[in-house]
Amino acid sequence: MNSGRVQAGSSSPEQTRELAAAIAELARPCDLVLLVGDLGAGKTAFTQGFGRGLGVDDQITSPTFALVQSYTGRLDLYHLDVYRLEHMNEALDLGLSEMLDDESVTVIEWGDKITQALPRDYLEVSITFGEGEEDRLFELRPVGSRWQARMRALTVALGAWSLSGESATGEPPC
Amino acid sequence: MLILGIETATVQAGCAIGGHEGVLASAHSAKGKRHAENLTPAIAFICEQAQIELSEIGLVAVDIGPGLFTGLRVGVATAKAVAFALRVPMIGVSSLDLLAFPVRFTPRLIVAAIDARRNELYYALYRQVPGGVQRISEPTVGSADDLASELLALSEEVLLVGDGAHRYREAFDGLTKVEIVDQGNSFPSAASLVQLAHAQALREDFQQIDSIQPMYLRRPDAEINWATRDSAP
Repeated sequence: MNSGRVQAGSSSPEQTRELAAAIAELARPCDLVLLVGDLGAGKTAFTQGFGRGLGVDDQITSPTFALVQSYTGRLDLYHLDVYRLEHMNEALDLGLSEMLDDESVTVIEWGDKITQALPRDYLEVSITFGEGEEDRLFELRPVGSRWQARMRALTVALGAWSLSGESATGEPPC
Repeated sequence: MLILGIETATVQAGCAIGGHEGVLASAHSAKGKRHAENLTPAIAFICEQAQIELSEIGLVAVDIGPGLFTGLRVGVATAKAVAFALRVPMIGVSSLDLLAFPVRFTPRLIVAAIDARRNELYYALYRQVPGGVQRISEPTVGSADDLASELLALSEEVLLVGDGAHRYREAFDGLTKVEIVDQGNSFPSAASLVQLAHAQALREDFQQIDSIQPMYLRRPDAEINWATRDSAP
């Protein structure tokens, strides 16, 4: 494992949701999570599980066209997708500062593209394709102190999905 | 002429009806994040209280910000919809003007400051003039510390007003010449909006619906680098 980073693997969208829910258990008000990964990597599936972990009951759908959707849970969730934007200020026009200042948790798909417009304090979750069609690899990288302080807890929380030694693809939890 | 004023630039949403007789009715609610839910019932309520039909409105005034993006969109969209339906002109007024106006009876420099979130403020400087206030600086976005340094350099008696002044009041703690106006005046009011719009209407200084835009104060923009997206199949 890279220092300061946590890696994990999943072999189905449902496992991705469970893994994301485990991360969400550690979320706190005003957290920011950036999702990085190609189309079809599972960013929306991740957010669905993440929302489940925050206690969101409503169905979470891709915000590609609505740009931002908000959900009520144990912690409220803002789910953004900046894929259709061309300028940093369009992201700010969505009310980004208000969302980040609202005791909620904000998840931004393609968020790595707008880091200039964001506070340098977030968890970056990179999703890449694994060997099998449904296999996905996750790398969690904390930027700033908020998530750095929680990396130990994240490592423990993701123990069931951790990539250790030779087993490079995701094994089922338990 | 009866004026409907709509103001949603902060966590407060408000509306008021008035004209040459002054403000006939107003409603304000600062229980945050419910602009869209609260505004139209509030407009219906003040019409009832003022005993007028919405169709009697001859002008729609709206607070165009700067302020919260979500709130401004609700207010500006609602105001445009009403003006469009009634085929009446509009007047847009800055939220900072609305903050400075009610506290104008002072020889001091007036600084209006709205909470822009994440330790930033929208602010502008004002002086009292006969009948109102005059803005003497462009509306700016900056940190509370930026504004505190600016005020320290001015070395002048200052009246600081707005929810931003309260939220980041520690930044102004050491400034002996700065007094912060109490919270009763810390949001722009729809009643002030109607008053200011009335004065402007007497000069027939109207705006068309299309020309009313929210004032989004922002830092210089940059393009998003979409090398990956644009090369995608």
